[in-house]
Amino acid sequence: MAKPPFNNDIRTLRFLAGEMTQAELGDRVGVTRQTIAAIEQGKYSPSLEVAFRIARLFGKPLEAVFQWDGNQDASR
Amino acid sequence: MAFREKTAWLTLISMLVAYTLYFGLIVGGHPAGYELFAMLWLFGAISLTQLVVVIAGSLYLTARTPKEERARPDERDRAIGRRGAAAGYYVLLIGTIVAAVVMPFLESGARLANIGLFALVTAEAVHHLVILTSYRRGWHG
Repeated sequence: MAKPPFNNDIRTLRFLAGEMTQAELGDRVGVTRQTIAAIEQGKYSPSLEVAFRIARLFGKPLEAVFQWDGNQDASR
Repeated sequence: MAFREKTAWLTLISMLVAYTLYFGLIVGGHPAGYELFAMLWLFGAISLTQLVVVIAGSLYLTARTPKEERARPDERDRAIGRRGAAAGYYVLLIGTIVAAVVMPFLESGARLANIGLFALVTAEAVHHLVILTSYRRGWHG
């Protein structure tokens, strides 16, 4: 299945937040560890609500966590 | 592998084994293919066995999986479940239409019931296949 037309920096942000685990992040935003892993790998596009929850947890705007990938968009 | 993925594998594999045996026997000339009572007995025995295997397997998987891995389904699990159900629905719809079309040409109720059962089993298999594929390859609902 094609990757979504955006990337994310969740792995980096977790690292910068004291090496927060996927399970801990998942607990705090209301999803499972597997879902956080799938989001990081580009295998799942989270709902807007979960995306905002992740961004708020790291104290960042949404665009600092998820970035639109123009190249993938143009190749469609 | 996630707990929900393991249970989907368990259900799919047990289904494929059970109903390959059932429909294999019917194709091989078993009376369940044309006699209603034989069909009910064979189908009942095979589906009951499959049910017992799924329940026992689920209990085993539950006991072997840590509690945090068995968390309630989240938005991704629900989205994948809906996708599987939608795919299964279309297969069932096609199977029902096929059963309705061939119904006037069948002399035995057992044959019609088997066509309906085949549609049901295929739809359920597609349902679980789509779920497994979505967990493996990703899902952008």
